[in-house]
Amino acid sequence: MDTKDVGAASVETLIFERLADAELSSPVGDLIVGALLSDDDLAAALGPDGYTRPLARSDAASAGKPAGMYLQAVTVEGFRGIGAKASLRLQPGPGLTLVLGRNGSGKSSFAEAAELAVTGDSRRWSKNTAARTGWRNLHAAEASRIIVGLASDGQPGITTVVREWPPGAALEDAAAYVQVPGSPRQPAESLGWAVPLELYRPFLSYSELGTLTEGKPSAMYDALQAILGLDQLIDAERRLGEARKRVEDSSKAARQALPDLLDRLRGYSDERARQAEAALNGRKWDLDAVEALAVGDERPDDTIPGRLQQVAMLELPGREPVAAAVERIAEGEQQVADLAGTPAGEARRLAGLLTTALAHYADHPGLPCPVCKGRLLDESWADSAREEVARLHCKARDADAAHAERDAAVRGLRGLVPAEPAVLSGDLGREVDAAPARAAWQKWAKLAGEATTEELAADAVTRFADLASAVAQVREAASQALQRRSEAWQSAAAFLAGWAELARASQRAAVVLARVKQALTWLRENGQQVRNARLAPFAELSAQVWEMLRQESNVELGPIRLEGSSTHRRVSLDVTVDGIPGAALGVMSQGELHALGLALFLPRATTPDSPFRFLLIDDPVQSMDPAKVDGLARVLAEIASTRQVIVFTHDDRLPEAVRRLQLPATIWEVVRREGSIVELKKSDDPVTCYLDDARALARTSELPEAARAVVVAGFCRSALEAACHETIRARQLAVGVRHAEVERALTDAHTLHQVVALALFEDADRGDQVFSRIREKYGSGAASAFKAAKAGPHEAYRGNLKRFVEDTAALAASLRP
Amino acid sequence: MTPEQLLAEADRLLTTVVPGTRGCWPRACAWLIRLSLETALDQYWAQVLPAAASCGMRAQLLLLPAYASSDIAQRARQAWTGLARAAHHHAYDLAPTAAELRGWHETVSQLVADLVVPAV
Repeated sequence: MDTKDVGAASVETLIFERLADAELSSPVGDLIVGALLSDDDLAAALGPDGYTRPLARSDAASAGKPAGMYLQAVTVEGFRGIGAKASLRLQPGPGLTLVLGRNGSGKSSFAEAAELAVTGDSRRWSKNTAARTGWRNLHAAEASRIIVGLASDGQPGITTVVREWPPGAALEDAAAYVQVPGSPRQPAESLGWAVPLELYRPFLSYSELGTLTEGKPSAMYDALQAILGLDQLIDAERRLGEARKRVEDSSKAARQALPDLLDRLRGYSDERARQAEAALNGRKWDLDAVEALAVGDERPDDTIPGRLQQVAMLELPGREPVAAAVERIAEGEQQVADLAGTPAGEARRLAGLLTTALAHYADHPGLPCPVCKGRLLDESWADSAREEVARLHCKARDADAAHAERDAAVRGLRGLVPAEPAVLSGDLGREVDAAPARAAWQKWAKLAGEATTEELAADAVTRFADLASAVAQVREAASQALQRRSEAWQSAAAFLAGWAELARASQRAAVVLARVKQALTWLRENGQQVRNARLAPFAELSAQVWEMLRQESNVELGPIRLEGSSTHRRVSLDVTVDGIPGAALGVMSQGELHALGLALFLPRATTPDSPFRFLLIDDPVQSMDPAKVDGLARVLAEIASTRQVIVFTHDDRLPEAVRRLQLPATIWEVVRREGSIVELKKSDDPVTCYLDDARALARTSELPEAARAVVVAGFCRSALEAACHETIRARQLAVGVRHAEVERALTDAHTLHQVVALALFEDADRGDQVFSRIREKYGSGAASAFKAAKAGPHEAYRGNLKRFVEDTAALAASLRP
Repeated sequence: MTPEQLLAEADRLLTTVVPGTRGCWPRACAWLIRLSLETALDQYWAQVLPAAASCGMRAQLLLLPAYASSDIAQRARQAWTGLARAAHHHAYDLAPTAAELRGWHETVSQLVADLVVPAV
């Protein structure tokens, strides 16, 4: 198993690379980038103002890669199961450490405290409100505090991460800071661990392993993605999915609001309502028209408001020009009257006759008048005739001028008032009656067209006054009608304008929706490839880990794939049971599933890029059978050659396997007294442990002599039992006996005699021969120690306790393999 | 030591930090409680049925319903089973927890009181 060449570029970088080669429009690319980064970025990319992609973060993050870190100590006070201050001390460097403690001993509190201090949030608590409120230790009167000491590879000194709560503070209200040697305190965020923690998360709890086994295939998919550090991809898909929902809703909003709008419009008699209805009828709305109706105040000529507008703007000349024109007509008429009796034609004809007579006279002077044969036409006649001709010509000219002047005055008056406008005969609605105005206009027209000059001069002023008054009335009526309509339309216009805005937004949303869908499709396809690419090296390593963990399991693990998307997403694990492929995960036992979870977790947390050189695993052994525990011990020991592996476990199976397989490990045992007093004790193999305890108690003057004898004998007996167990287990497993059978034999041997008989003779029933065999083989000291250990816990041993312990130690050493 | 003294020592280990007992007190505590129960039974048989004292614990527990009461017998059996397991080395078992010890302590305290034979 090689943990060194599993690369893990961040999801962000991988997607960005693919995006650079993708043939996507820039807005679609922006959406993908925004979705990967944050809610705010996506909102900006969705917005109308354009989006500037930030520089890739992950590049910046990986540039200043922190030195590898190892845990040096976890010190906890007043937190979870730990009351008084207790420290778990660790060797900062590669190696395996087991922290052993019964459930409730406070061992997991160390794991949780370390996780909380380093990450700022404990994964199991983020989902569990009961745990969130029960975090403070009941026996902690003072402040609660977690101090995690970290040693950076190749750097002197210890960096401490501190998280502390004043009395009464909530879990979230911790003060968190970091103390780097030689620098002042800094806020915890200054470590820049957010990205690496997300990617390499060096903490794994039993409940996290459990999520693999619970419930829906999609939940397993999500858990695996998280374990693989693909959270960012999940988040991006979720963000885009949510955005699609929002944008889709928005794109439908206008159509959904349309029936209500049409309903309202129906209530308006204004033809603008009709026009709006017409603009909204059909598949494609005429939004320009709707907006013009809502905002503008246009009134086309062929509508009632158009006509009303024209009526309201009708104009007539003033009273004065009319009066002046009438005056001129009167004057002209007077002149014509003054020239009465001498019409211009008659004067001209007479002048013509005299002119002809004068011509005749010029040819035939002195003859009598040829017309009347009377008077002789002589020079005096000729003179008076010439005079008369001139007078007659002058008279005719004057008469012509008088007539022309009067006629011009009449024309002037007629031209002063326009003809009746057609608009007055159009439909002006019920509110405006144009009839009086029209009647007045017709009367005027009749007067102007048909009356004699005298009548005109006499009546024009009065008639005009009638017309002016009628027109003023109809104009006022039209104005008021327009005003009322305008007011009534206001509310409809406001509503229409609001809807038009919604419709514009909907149309924009429809455009964005297409992009979001495209972005989502692209992200899913490419995310899938990234996932599997990301998974491949892990999967290979996982398969190797599984190979070591599976031991006696008949389940074989093929390639692991993440398949499907959204609600159909699932984990495809090619599981083969007894060589039969196609089996579901359901055939795997809880322990196998947990082992599988570990197989998937370990490669990620041991990635070379990770700044965390430590690995905290909380209770991976639960529900594993002993064979798998052997596999786990080997896997952990192998990883521990390059990593600091800290495993918390609630029973002695893993330590036993580690000891039996002679894997290097440090073992701590955690015990908790009443009052949450937690103590840690370095634990060797059980035999040494028991003997050490026996020695320690033999020296303890705090206990009465009699009580001391009882407990020392107890530990001595346990030491002998443990030595025998060790021998029996090692011997039987070496010759290929299955774990389960060995365990059964050990469980069935109840008494010390049976256990020792099993170790000495491989037969628990030969207890009666044990004592004599010990005496002859190991001497009388051993024999009396055996006897005392057997009886000791029942009746106080009266001999020398220290001597007793050493004799027991010698016997135990002889019994061990 | 009397059963009561043994229980008092056990209680001390359970509630206070006794020097020299770091980490090993839970098993020590179990043995003291167990011996307290055994001693109480010995004293009881000495008054009621002296021959029973030399029998194994299994036999004593079988005799108990007939001489004391089935209730006492049942509680004694229950405490004994737990204490016996805790007091022997068992593969993969860790030392008993404070809560378990407290439970046995209470049960045995009651039994010690119940097993006192009233003076005639």
